[in-house]
Amino acid sequence: MTITLWHFLAVAAALFGIGLVGFLTRRNLITMFLCAEMMLQGVAINFVAFARYHANLHGQVFVLFILAVAACEAGIALALFLNLYRRRRSLDTSDWQELRETGVPAATDDDPLPRPPADPMPVLTPAGARPAPTAEEAARV
Amino acid sequence: MSNPVGLALTILALPLLASVLAYLMRGTARTARLAHLPLVVGCGTAAALALYLLTTMLDGTAERVSEPVAWFAAGKLRAHFTVTVDALAAIMLGMVTFIATLIAIFSSGYMKGDAGFARFFAVMSLFVFCMCGLVLANNLLLLVAFWEGVGLCSYLLVGYYFDKPSAAAAARKAFLVTRLGDVGLILGVFVIWHACLPGMSPDVPFNPLNLSELFGYVVRHPEIHSQVGLGCFLLFCGAVGKSAQFPLYVWLPDAMEGPTPVSALIHAATMVTAGVYLLARCAPLFAVAPGVQIAVAWIGGVTALLAAFIALAQTDLKRILAYSTVSQLGFMFLALGTSGAISPAFAVGAAMFHLFTHAFFKALLFLSAGSVMHAMGGVIDVRQFGGLRRVLPVTHVAFLCGALALAGFPLLSGFWSKDLILESLTEASESGSPYTAGYFALFLVACLTALLTAFYTFRAYFLTFWGPERIPHEAGHHAHESPTSMTLPLLVLAAGALAVGIVLQPFTHWFTDLLETTPSLAIARGPTPARVVAHHLNWVLIGVSTVLALGGIGLAFALYRNGGADKAPAGLDAVFAASRNKLWVDELYHAVFVKPAEVLAFLARVFDGFLDGLARLISSAPRALGAWARPIQNGLVQFYALSMALGVAVFLTFVVFRISR
Repeated sequence: MTITLWHFLAVAAALFGIGLVGFLTRRNLITMFLCAEMMLQGVAINFVAFARYHANLHGQVFVLFILAVAACEAGIALALFLNLYRRRRSLDTSDWQELRETGVPAATDDDPLPRPPADPMPVLTPAGARPAPTAEEAARV
Repeated sequence: MSNPVGLALTILALPLLASVLAYLMRGTARTARLAHLPLVVGCGTAAALALYLLTTMLDGTAERVSEPVAWFAAGKLRAHFTVTVDALAAIMLGMVTFIATLIAIFSSGYMKGDAGFARFFAVMSLFVFCMCGLVLANNLLLLVAFWEGVGLCSYLLVGYYFDKPSAAAAARKAFLVTRLGDVGLILGVFVIWHACLPGMSPDVPFNPLNLSELFGYVVRHPEIHSQVGLGCFLLFCGAVGKSAQFPLYVWLPDAMEGPTPVSALIHAATMVTAGVYLLARCAPLFAVAPGVQIAVAWIGGVTALLAAFIALAQTDLKRILAYSTVSQLGFMFLALGTSGAISPAFAVGAAMFHLFTHAFFKALLFLSAGSVMHAMGGVIDVRQFGGLRRVLPVTHVAFLCGALALAGFPLLSGFWSKDLILESLTEASESGSPYTAGYFALFLVACLTALLTAFYTFRAYFLTFWGPERIPHEAGHHAHESPTSMTLPLLVLAAGALAVGIVLQPFTHWFTDLLETTPSLAIARGPTPARVVAHHLNWVLIGVSTVLALGGIGLAFALYRNGGADKAPAGLDAVFAASRNKLWVDELYHAVFVKPAEVLAFLARVFDGFLDGLARLISSAPRALGAWARPIQNGLVQFYALSMALGVAVFLTFVVFRISR
């Protein structure tokens, strides 16, 4: 069996479809982001396949662009998620409904994601201040 | 500096500078208190320069018309900024700046402590600038611009207490009523310009808007005289509005809502005389339109008598003076109207001399009334005070001087100028003009008006200063003479009201000799077959006007020396009521003009409301659609993603099936 264009396209479509379904059904921000990446890669496979089919490099150039853009996007997205997490201690997208139309009631969540335990942020010694000596140090002096 | 044009432009620039300075001084409370200084200093300097300018006019050799500077041009219409300096303009300039300086000094005391002190002086300075520009303008459109400028300043100053509804209404009325006349003025300018169009060609530098070029052209071309006559009539409409003549005089009495110095400067001495000045300046145009001349005379006569009659029974001291101003302006138009029958120089001389003396004694009367008002705590109704001779001794003397001059008491300034007007009327009635009977009737009207003038002036005087002493409670317990800054201008003006007439005219003829050096009057003399009248003392007339003045004063003394403003002479109750109610002219205008306009405005508002409703109805459809679709925006990311995915799916399905089909 030779591997034809259709095989490539089938794999790409499967990747895209899985990504789409994942994006629509999952509520975890990071999972959703991974799903979006998967859709992107599905598209990228399409490009590569067509590049090979047409025997030129146009599609490959596009794929390089997609990879570069996806890398930037990943950086920005993960930074945003970090900030969102610090606000609410949760990665659930349904926690962020403030941008809805005024007057529309917020959607209630019948099955909320389990909350992680609220662990305190580590407290660092303020820079430039002399650390308080431990008992051992105090005894030595 | 001896160049008259340079001097005139300096005089023009000084008040403008003062206006800008006073406006900038509004900034802080400390400088705002000193905002009267720019006007006093600038206007004082301008008055000194104007006096010097008058002396340069005497030898009559220097350059007269400034180089035209292009203002704007549209097709054949070219508006130039150019000024003309001649005896007529120099006399007006001197009068305006001198009176304005005195009134500025007076107002620095009168307006002290007022919240809008700096604003007041900024607008006053602007007014003096516009008035000087109006006097100097050599271009008709420039003249119209300054004419509107003084109208604007009048509006701003009448409505100075703009939080008072009556003042705001008075300002609006003054502006709108004079606007009626201004439409005529600007139409007249264009009619005259259009009549002179044949004289314009590319190789002849002739601009019919420049007065100095226009006059000679009109006189040389008899074929356009009928059109110029129409233009003159329209110009006269402008003068009727600005100078408060019948039927547009109704705004002037209401304009007394402004501060008293404003009434003295704008509504007695200067702005309202702009119409008289316009006709005097355009004498060569009016000289070719004798039909308009007689109309001018009749309007003047009717106004003089009507206003004097209304003034008889008024109770507001300032309104009595306002009606008197209207009446005296009527006198000036009477004199101007005779220039069809006698030499224009004589007629214009009589009108301008009355304008000149009137500025002194009427400004004096208004400032005295302001001094009374100041002492009485803002009360100006003669029924509420009386016997103020001992409370306000300086004001009393000043008011008496002004009243005597206005009444035409022998040897005072008003006597001589009124005499000159009566003389021009008698001369006109003996001339070869087709309207001699009309001029004789007008002479009788003028005599009757002179009698009434003496009567109502002294009625106001006796009611205010004679009889038992009564002081309204608004004045409190400190009714006292005004400060020196207010009494000093009064005394200067009183000296002027007493002496300016006898010094300048009856024996020396200085005023008319100087005025007759005006080039435009020499041009006006050209085409009219009028009789030239030499200035001489007409003893019969002097006797008649003495009897009239003394008779009026005597009548007032007999009736009102003990107060009682509501007292009507026996058997004349109906006449008294008619005068008190201003002959119901305001009510008539209200019914005939204001009411229909209000009804029209109401209908327009209803129609506008209908249109608004229609527009709202149309706009409500997309709004309803939006309200229906808006809940989709629920803030859930998954929902958005799903909508997008479904949307794309539908779109793709459509595309795919369409292609495959």
